[in-house]
Amino acid sequence: MRIKTNIITPEERKKAFAIPKKPEVIERQRLPVRYHVEDYDVEDRPRRFLQAFAAILKHSSYRLALDHYIRSTAKCARCATSCQIYQATGDPKDIPCYRSELLLNVYRRHFTLGGMLKGRLLVTGHLTDEMIEEMADSFWNCTACRRCALECPTGIDHGLITHLGRYILSEIGIAPRALVVSTREQLEGASGNTSAIPVPALLDTLEFLSEDMLEDKRVEIKFPIDVEGADYVFFPAVSDFLMEAETLMGIAAVFTATGDSWTIGTGYFDGINYGLFYSDRMLERIVKKVDAETRRLNGKNVLIGECGHASRSAKCFLPTYCGYKDAFPVINIIEYTHRVWKEGRLKLDPNVVTEKVAYHDPCNLARQRWIIEQPRELLKAFCPNYIEMTPNGDDNICCGGGGGTVSIDEIRPYRTTVGGKLKADQIRACGCEVLVAPCANCKKQLRELVEDQGIDCEVVGLHDLIYKAIIFDDSLKIPVEKKHDTLKEV
Amino acid sequence: MPTFEWNDVKIEVDEDGFMENPEEWNERVALALASTEGVTELTEDHWKLINYLRDYYQKFGIAPMIRKLCKETGFPLKKVYELFPSGPAKGACKVAGLAKPTGCV
Repeated sequence: MRIKTNIITPEERKKAFAIPKKPEVIERQRLPVRYHVEDYDVEDRPRRFLQAFAAILKHSSYRLALDHYIRSTAKCARCATSCQIYQATGDPKDIPCYRSELLLNVYRRHFTLGGMLKGRLLVTGHLTDEMIEEMADSFWNCTACRRCALECPTGIDHGLITHLGRYILSEIGIAPRALVVSTREQLEGASGNTSAIPVPALLDTLEFLSEDMLEDKRVEIKFPIDVEGADYVFFPAVSDFLMEAETLMGIAAVFTATGDSWTIGTGYFDGINYGLFYSDRMLERIVKKVDAETRRLNGKNVLIGECGHASRSAKCFLPTYCGYKDAFPVINIIEYTHRVWKEGRLKLDPNVVTEKVAYHDPCNLARQRWIIEQPRELLKAFCPNYIEMTPNGDDNICCGGGGGTVSIDEIRPYRTTVGGKLKADQIRACGCEVLVAPCANCKKQLRELVEDQGIDCEVVGLHDLIYKAIIFDDSLKIPVEKKHDTLKEV
Repeated sequence: MPTFEWNDVKIEVDEDGFMENPEEWNERVALALASTEGVTELTEDHWKLINYLRDYYQKFGIAPMIRKLCKETGFPLKKVYELFPSGPAKGACKVAGLAKPTGCV
């Protein structure tokens, strides 16, 4: 079933693109796109773009994919039916294969023999400044949800082309400031994570959460720190330590109930990898940090928290960059919780969460059919009023803030009126009171979306609900008198 | 780097209006920054929140977890949004002179 939407007018689109940046800043950057890095060199861009492109082709296997794509690209625009940006704007420039053609044209003209000969003979088609500007705009309008890849009859992965396009652009200095600043802090900053959380603050936060849970559940729930040889080394989206208390509490509660060994490393505790959104070079460096910390702690598995892109970047690229078959196995916390629940080691009370609950599939977990059924089985087990949104699973609709765009606050109006329009319609149509979105990206975007669109719906993580419904074994509970003693000690 | 001026206050801010040099913060600066957030008057509740944020920031170098902020000040999240319409991270932190939060915040 497809959801009907009203196509927005050009005026609305213009309004959605309203620019909060100062005019002189835009003038300095001389580009219509609004979310660039700090000032960068605008001179001689075509040459630098082609150099970066050539270097990337030389040191990667993108050429294989591109050679196939330029032969098979049909421009049939079948992907238009699945692209939520195009469905919202109705602008042909938002059709995925139009976007892909921008880069494929450059490849054809400058990196294939036929293209080079034809281009020289006819003196045409060479890369210009305008083409770079159009690419910069276009590639960052996409949420990289990769829903179009399912529709393409010739098997072109438009998400991959967008990814490559953003990578080349970032090499010549065009990338969203929000992502670059965060990644710089993660790779070179004192804190070493994207939200700049120092270790003392982390420890203080975790201690606070443990105290909170002791009061609440009468169970001592700890966050083990720097435990060597733990089965699972935990990397959540680091922003969870600021924003998502309940999610972390739910995860710690599950581990307390099962008694499995897990740990958070103080050397590195950030699962976020913005490299997936704009640069393979950064992607590699960040993935290596995850590997190094797991190695330092002599851990056995990499456990990623509730975050789609963090899970995909670790799952897919830890083997690529850190040891191929010998790389640490990566699992997502949903897989873990689902498994222990199946094994009967986790008990959930079906009478606690009585609201109408629906599940939103994060693209990075569901598109490649990795995690679809596990959270549903869990939710159905303890939410009597679970309802389903359509379409769902690997055909889900993106929250509208995918591909790193959610971190760019300047484009919030675009995200909530254009990018997330279809999602908002879908949430309205399903009528859920609680929307479960096990992804830091999706949570932020969906909360802004329901606020801006005036939808009465609460957005939570999966483990927020599990925390509410979890039943602890009586042996774990601290008797009331003793609880007071413990509290005093604390 | 943009300079922000409000009455007698003159500070350097980033493109989103957050302070570049948090050590220059004082109560006049808070008033000035509040004016950019649609807050015209800083009540006792505002100051309670701002002072808590500043104390925590000076101790740990980052804003506290939102749940902790709510618990320690006794304000539910709704109240925080009433005090600072753009929320704890973007509104309250800005007025308290903290740096702009990065990452998925």
